[in-house]
Amino acid sequence: MPRISPVETTVTIELDGDQLQAREGEPVACAILANDQLIFSRSAKYHRPRGPFCMTGACAHCLMRVDGIPNVATCRVPVKAGMRLERQNALPDARIDLLRANDFVFRDWFNHHEFMAGWPIAEHVLLKIARQLSGLGVLPEKAAEHRQPAIIEEHELVVVGAGAAGLAAVRQLTTRGVPHVLFERDPHVGGRLTSGAEKGQPAPWNAPARVGAEVVGLFADDGKPFLAVVEQERLHLVFYQRLLLTVGGHAMLPTFPNNDLPGVMAGRAVSTLIRRHGVLPGKRVACVGELDEARSLAELVKGAGGEAIAIGAEVVRAHGLRSVNAVTVKPNEKLGCDIIATCGPPSPAFELARCAGAEVVWNPSSRCFEVVADNRGQTANPALFVAGEMRGPMSSSAAAEQGLAAADALAGAAR
Amino acid sequence: MSKSLLCPCEDVTSSEVEHAISKGFCDIESVKRFTGFGTGMCQGKQCLNAVARLLEEKSPKKPTPAQLMPFTPRPPLFPTEYGYWASASFDPERAPSGGVPAGIELGPDSLRPAGPVKSKAKIVIIGGGIMGLALAWNLTEQGETDVVVIEKGYLCAGASGRNGGGIRAQWGTPTLISLAQRSIELMKRFARDMSINVWFRQGGYLFLAKSDEVVKKIERGAALHNQHGVPTQIITADAAREIVPQLTMKGVRAAAWNPKDAVIFPWPFMWGYAQQAQKRGVQVETFTDVKGFELSSGKITKVITDRGEIACETVVLAAGAWSPEIAKLAGVHLPNEPHRHEICSSEPLKPFLGPLVSVLDSGLYFSQSMRGEIVGGMGDPREGAALNLGSTSRFLTRYSQALTEQLPQTGRVKILRQWSGPYDVTPDNSPILGKTPKLENLLQMSGFVGHGFMMAPAVAERMAKWMATGESDELFERFTLSRFAEGRMEREDMIIG
Repeated sequence: MPRISPVETTVTIELDGDQLQAREGEPVACAILANDQLIFSRSAKYHRPRGPFCMTGACAHCLMRVDGIPNVATCRVPVKAGMRLERQNALPDARIDLLRANDFVFRDWFNHHEFMAGWPIAEHVLLKIARQLSGLGVLPEKAAEHRQPAIIEEHELVVVGAGAAGLAAVRQLTTRGVPHVLFERDPHVGGRLTSGAEKGQPAPWNAPARVGAEVVGLFADDGKPFLAVVEQERLHLVFYQRLLLTVGGHAMLPTFPNNDLPGVMAGRAVSTLIRRHGVLPGKRVACVGELDEARSLAELVKGAGGEAIAIGAEVVRAHGLRSVNAVTVKPNEKLGCDIIATCGPPSPAFELARCAGAEVVWNPSSRCFEVVADNRGQTANPALFVAGEMRGPMSSSAAAEQGLAAADALAGAAR
Repeated sequence: MSKSLLCPCEDVTSSEVEHAISKGFCDIESVKRFTGFGTGMCQGKQCLNAVARLLEEKSPKKPTPAQLMPFTPRPPLFPTEYGYWASASFDPERAPSGGVPAGIELGPDSLRPAGPVKSKAKIVIIGGGIMGLALAWNLTEQGETDVVVIEKGYLCAGASGRNGGGIRAQWGTPTLISLAQRSIELMKRFARDMSINVWFRQGGYLFLAKSDEVVKKIERGAALHNQHGVPTQIITADAAREIVPQLTMKGVRAAAWNPKDAVIFPWPFMWGYAQQAQKRGVQVETFTDVKGFELSSGKITKVITDRGEIACETVVLAAGAWSPEIAKLAGVHLPNEPHRHEICSSEPLKPFLGPLVSVLDSGLYFSQSMRGEIVGGMGDPREGAALNLGSTSRFLTRYSQALTEQLPQTGRVKILRQWSGPYDVTPDNSPILGKTPKLENLLQMSGFVGHGFMMAPAVAERMAKWMATGESDELFERFTLSRFAEGRMEREDMIIG
């Protein structure tokens, strides 16, 4: 049973007709993992099995049909009693999907540009088959009800992301009396401070924030910048004078054979499951990749009653047909395991900053795209500041320092 | 099998990206288009960095840090339901301006190839979109291979890589009807001719008409189509619902239906034409910009690029919405204006929508791609002339309101990505083709408003023949640049989007 400690009250949810017990409010993906299910979906072309990877809604591994709505990231949706979940894109079933045959026919990859191109008759057959196999979810059956009208807001200073950098920034902004508003897409603040595995991590602290408010876009219609935010099932258009982005990064998928098997998870996804949700997704966890994070994660795994192996090792390949059953690490050692947790920094989330006019460059030493800013976090757009992991890999202490510096710069300019 | 996935959303493996690199696609935007990486549910969050790392390791010419650039990030940041965008409001009276991201560069200097272009060619074609590339290939069919195509960005960077892929014979003038019919024939056999799949799918075009005026327009159109062998029928709203059962047909009085119209996937057309033309000796120079011309006694003698000069006999201007800028370098004024047209794509859904549907009154159009996305747009009558490729929230709101009115089940379907491309608009909505007054060897091939993509195969075929044989062709006499000075308009009114 993957739950680290027993859950007192549970609700029932339905997954492909099976009844599962879940804790109300936890992410659906978490509840499914807690029921020992690793296969969530099938991939687009090869129908490879997939299970949660990032736990932050930044990959497509955990998509399901949720209460009749297709392609929902189950790691972002809270459990409600009676929820109906369906796996998608499989024949007859995502657990045993006959279309996996594609994966064996096209051993290495499928050349969709040239396959059967111009073969008489065959190309028509290909077109028909390809169309029938296309798409992931099915169109909702019911017409959607109208959403409530969007709310327009205006703020002097908006901060996005309540991780170490954002929390440090707003603490300083509050101290210095600078009015601001903080948005966080998770239902709680803390980011890495409450979900990561990190050596010498500072203890989390709190700050008033609008949690569960997901920034879904940055626009500049008519030259006036604003954020589109979805909060409590309603769209908000949030105009700002100045913006501080502290949105961190997206879990990176390391490249090795079978890197997409259910059971291969980002290190931070595993630490999130353990620290925030009390779920250990498998008994034997290979904590591979960046050594410091791997060691801290191994401690968390052991503390949750699991076994940590291959700590800080470099992966050669993952093994397993439907989910991970072993890992080969360098130099050439094959070890049985249930989960491969890949530790390492995320790729900086530069998208909003780039939309707002910041410069993004390739850093040859971190081998990541990073947002360019001066030592106070100011970017090519003077109204836009950035801090933390979106500027490149760094510890949460370093991210907090950057958040503080940006807040000081913003407070200085406010006077 | 034990694949290494780079982009799990679209099942792109590292072998596939290495194959693209070996084919010469060495910048992120090109690799994205050729392999499809970064185009799925996560929009590159999981894979972009890994692809850049692979490019750094495997490119034959090791890219400098400045040459590694992420593909353009566009809203939304996370997939967001049409219903949310529809819940905002907009001022229909106001002209839209602005957009994100700021400063989209289609051909950054850092990606310019090091070596010079060749110093002499018989024909220089400016613009490596579908017009220019189709012309280059058709010229080789006529035995003309001493051709250089100059493209400022990557292949697919301009409007040819940004359109919705609709092709239809339902036009308002006999010329465009016959060109479109020929194009549809050529597109049907493109995969055979060029050895690359274009996913030609004949799902039909369903035009919906709300007002009396538009009903009359489609009735007139259908009569004309039938005269020219296009089987357009005028059908009732109920009959249209038999074709697409999910449509509400709210406010719709009649529809025009041609089951033979089609949708294709635009990008492989550029690769197909370019690869086959290159095999026959044509040079396609990407990331190369035209800086000026050398003129002598009423002729262009040289095209000056940022990679050297090319002495030539004939120059063809096929740069779409960028054509007026380039014509200006030769002292020629073109009346074309660039107008931004925005478009967006949904999450991939299982096939449910056969035809391309368009509400002619509003310009709304949408179809379902071969990958299952609902791809669509809606022209903004207030959009002014500017080369603006930014994305706006106003568009998402206008489009989502119009789409959910006709297809309310999409209210909880999510938008994955929006982008935009320029229409190349002429005063009479008809193209500019043929010779330039007072500059004999500059040939025009632009001004196709929003339908250049679907016209290109047929137009290029005739233009190549006209250029190579010198036989007269009414196309290059009717649609000349001089018609505007002569006050001879060739009006086309079946413009959508």
